[in-house]
Amino acid sequence: MDLVHPTLNHFLILGAVLFCIGLYGALAKRNAIAILMGIEIMLNAVNITLVAFSFYNTVKPFSTFLTGQIFAIFIITVAAAEAAVALAMIISIYRKRSTVDVGEINLMKW
Amino acid sequence: MAVYQYSWLILLAPLLSFVVIIFGTRMWDLASRPRAAGASTASHGHGDGDEHSHAAHGDEHDSHGHSDDDDPKVPALSMGAKASAYVGLAITLVACIFSWYLLLNSVFDAKALPYTGYDLNLHWSWGVASFLAPYEFRFHVDHLALTMLVVVMTISLLVQFYSQGYMENSAGYARFFSYLSLFTFSMLVIVFAANFLVIFIGWELVGLSSYLLVGFWINKRAKPAEDRLSPATSAMQAFVVNRIGDVGFIIGIMIIFWKTGTYNFATLSGQDLPHIAQSVSHAFAGDSTLLTIAMILIFCGAIGKSAQMPLQIWLPNAMEGPTPVSALIHAATMVAAGIYMVARTFPLFVASGSTAFEVVAWVGTITALYAALVALTQTDFKRVLAYSTVSQLGYMFVGLGVSGAVDPAKFGAGPGMYHLFTHAFFKALLFLAAGSVIHNLHHATHEEVQDMRKMGGLAKFMPITAITYLIAAITISGIPPLSGFFSKDTIIGLAYTNSAQVPAFFAIWILTLITAGLTAFYMFRAYIQAFGGKGGRAGGFWGSAQGQPEIYRGVGTPREAPLTITIPLILLAIASIVAGYWFGLFSYLTPGADNVSVVELFSDWRTWLGVGIAVIGIGWAWNLYARVGMERVSEVVEGNVALRFLHRLTLRKFYLDDFYYWLTKYVFLGIAHIAAAFDSAVVDGIVNGVAGLVTGLGKGLRRTETGKVQSYMYGFFGGIAALAIIIFVLVAFAQIQGGFLW
Repeated sequence: MDLVHPTLNHFLILGAVLFCIGLYGALAKRNAIAILMGIEIMLNAVNITLVAFSFYNTVKPFSTFLTGQIFAIFIITVAAAEAAVALAMIISIYRKRSTVDVGEINLMKW
Repeated sequence: MAVYQYSWLILLAPLLSFVVIIFGTRMWDLASRPRAAGASTASHGHGDGDEHSHAAHGDEHDSHGHSDDDDPKVPALSMGAKASAYVGLAITLVACIFSWYLLLNSVFDAKALPYTGYDLNLHWSWGVASFLAPYEFRFHVDHLALTMLVVVMTISLLVQFYSQGYMENSAGYARFFSYLSLFTFSMLVIVFAANFLVIFIGWELVGLSSYLLVGFWINKRAKPAEDRLSPATSAMQAFVVNRIGDVGFIIGIMIIFWKTGTYNFATLSGQDLPHIAQSVSHAFAGDSTLLTIAMILIFCGAIGKSAQMPLQIWLPNAMEGPTPVSALIHAATMVAAGIYMVARTFPLFVASGSTAFEVVAWVGTITALYAALVALTQTDFKRVLAYSTVSQLGYMFVGLGVSGAVDPAKFGAGPGMYHLFTHAFFKALLFLAAGSVIHNLHHATHEEVQDMRKMGGLAKFMPITAITYLIAAITISGIPPLSGFFSKDTIIGLAYTNSAQVPAFFAIWILTLITAGLTAFYMFRAYIQAFGGKGGRAGGFWGSAQGQPEIYRGVGTPREAPLTITIPLILLAIASIVAGYWFGLFSYLTPGADNVSVVELFSDWRTWLGVGIAVIGIGWAWNLYARVGMERVSEVVEGNVALRFLHRLTLRKFYLDDFYYWLTKYVFLGIAHIAAAFDSAVVDGIVNGVAGLVTGLGKGLRRTETGKVQSYMYGFFGGIAALAIIIFVLVAFAQIQGGFLW
């Protein structure tokens, strides 16, 4: 039996599934760190989609460019910075209020 | 030529003195007053110290009467207060001399000032947009302006001089002189106005000055027993009633501007009369009805300012102001602004045809007769004069109307302006003499006496006042060869002459003749009641003789007024006698006009008819008040039903004032209440409703600001999902439809 060669659609479905998992995490979790993890999953889902589009592109001359891959590297970089900032904020909030439950962090309420 | 362009100096002179007094000498006056001893405490105290201070200043400044609440006094005028008067007087004197020079120069040297006049070296304009006519402050001097100018400046000078005596020791001395200067400036704005906008500005400025001066005694109360309002109320009434006329005035100006595209008198009426009629009619596209309506509306402004029917109510009430103010504003100058304005727009009236002129003549006639009838029975000294002013202003409008309705180029605005010119002097004299009486009776009785029943035989005590008043009374009655005879009989005669073309003018002639008789009667009634009486010398024309019973009905011993008061009286008496001899006035004002012909006037039997009627009026007044006696007359009138009814009718001013009071109280205030209710319920309701709606909406929407980041994310991703679904549906739908989108 031949190995099924993965097509673009497989990667897109993977990206969509991962994005939905991340979205669910970001929306449903109360723990700030879990929300952060959900966001990271969403970013990576987008990375997969970008790389897949770039890899399967056959239109000249764009197929020779590595636009998607470069974009993914940028996103990974930004995500790392974002994670650092977010974690620092979460720690700071935790020190002040002894909780990371976003339900209780509501100073901006009306 | 050049000298006339510098007449803007005259225009700005009173403004200068106003500024100097208000910011300079009045501040000095206020600063030099002792802080603790306020004006009122100084005059009301009955302690020993005050008695001493009164004694120190002599009994002339005695002021214990309760009516001194009316006019707070200071023990002595400060240097600042005196300087205020001197500044005003000096500047007015120079300006007055200059204006007489300008007038005489142009009278004796016809080439000095052409009929079209000159623009003053004082104008500026600002255009709102290039396609609109610019607003122009432009002043103009011509023969008409000069005639009015000398009247204003002369009366203003004499009244300021007189006020030194009349307003002695008044706490508001400096303020009074600043207001007089402001008024003179306002009046000169009207005199020099070169277009409708400027004349309207001056119109409102004199309204303001009049308001300030009538209401000068702000603490004075109403006197219901004498049927007198408080000065503050009178001032407001004058202001409000004038607004009614001004509405018509401004609408008229708008119609003229709408049709001709210009405000300038020079553009509207720069050429000779037939040409104006053509060019203005052309601008109105032959629609002379609209032009007539516009001119009648403009005349409404004159009705208000000159106190003609039906807006005559404010002038007699404005007598609550100080008497110099009555003389300056409400007799000689401001009320004549209406006549001046009609004379200024005379060519426009000509262009509109004769209808507007007939309206002017009839309003004048009815007013003259009405005011003369009311003046017959008034007991207030000044109010008789006020109604006499209204009546004489009516004559001036008759003069303008009958001259313009038939062959306007023959006399032009001359007859009306002639009477304005002579009337200014003798009416100012009458008022100033009345003021002298009131002033001196105040010293004698310590209260304000204006009721003629409390006078009588005053000629013995104040001969100069009596003689000057008598001269003015003879003048206004139209007895030759004094000035009033020439100007009034010219108007009456012209009404008769022009009745050949307009038959209705025959009625005007009859009515003005009757009014002339009434005028003579009420003027001499006032004179005899105040200065003479039954049992007096010279057949009742003078006070009681030595050794005879006293005929003075008041208390105390009046004295003759000080020189500051008598000098203006004497000068004005001379002016009243000679002012009528300017027979060249008509051709001076209107090129090619006929002049007053003395020979014709004296050879016409109708002139002597008018004189005869006036003599009958004087004789009847003498008969009733000097021979029969005042008490007997009122007994007879009270005993006879018909006479009592007529007396009550004219005493109550034909119930017109009461009617206006009723109208204001029930109709206008009712409308005002309805409008106020509409305003608070509907207008405020809309505004508050919109505000309430926005507030409620905000209160609801703020609930969405939970402060929880996840709820925002729900909205964010939910929105994206919704958009995605919409786009998906649309694309799918378009593909089914067959390439709607691509």
